[in-house]
Amino acid sequence: MTRTRAITLNALSLYAVALVLTAAFAAQLTLHELPCPLCLLQRILFATLAIGPILNIRFGPRPSHYAMSLFAAVAGAVVSTRQVLLHIMPGDAGYGSALLGYHYYTWALIGFVAAIVLLAAILLLDRQFDDTAPQPASRRAFAQAAVWLVIGLTALNVVSTLLECGFGACADNPIVYELLRRAA
Amino acid sequence: MEFTALLLAIAIVMLVAWRGPRPLALGLFAAVMIACVATYLHHATDTLKLSF
Repeated sequence: MTRTRAITLNALSLYAVALVLTAAFAAQLTLHELPCPLCLLQRILFATLAIGPILNIRFGPRPSHYAMSLFAAVAGAVVSTRQVLLHIMPGDAGYGSALLGYHYYTWALIGFVAAIVLLAAILLLDRQFDDTAPQPASRRAFAQAAVWLVIGLTALNVVSTLLECGFGACADNPIVYELLRRAA
Repeated sequence: MEFTALLLAIAIVMLVAWRGPRPLALGLFAAVMIACVATYLHHATDTLKLSF
């Protein structure tokens, strides 16, 4: 795989992260289900997953950048596995609503494991690390838009989490935006 | 509060990765990962009344 294709693939992975963050936001706003502490940690690790691709787009693909994303994906898989195990007992209804039969933390586990497998697969393609061809302008714009989209969604999550938790510890089972409740 | 701080830190790391020096981005990424693991361990060792 050439360097240009690898960078396009990294931009696509940023759009995938943006899709996950948008879906989480959509569930939060439309279903009025506030994310629990472990759910927030999974969102945080999805955002952390994006740092490797941002570096790949800016400095070119390097194994160390993929390794950063692997660390984030493994940490995310551990956190989502914990939440799956917390609700594994028969009769436990799980936390929040389900999407296509799976709760969000189960989807998160599937997403993090898929990221680990895809990162391992892309690391097999050695040519991307040798190639030094410049990136075409059209693809540069596609990648830049992906970077700013992910940064913007992460910034929105900062605001949303501040509203939800306020300046204290986040509630185990949040039902109101703490900062808005205090202001009212 | 710790989750807001972590998200803010990640947004800053993303901006540094996009605009700043690479070694700084790598160092900040390592600090954020350690903070994430510490937050997880704090949660995992905390006695919770509810299971989430």
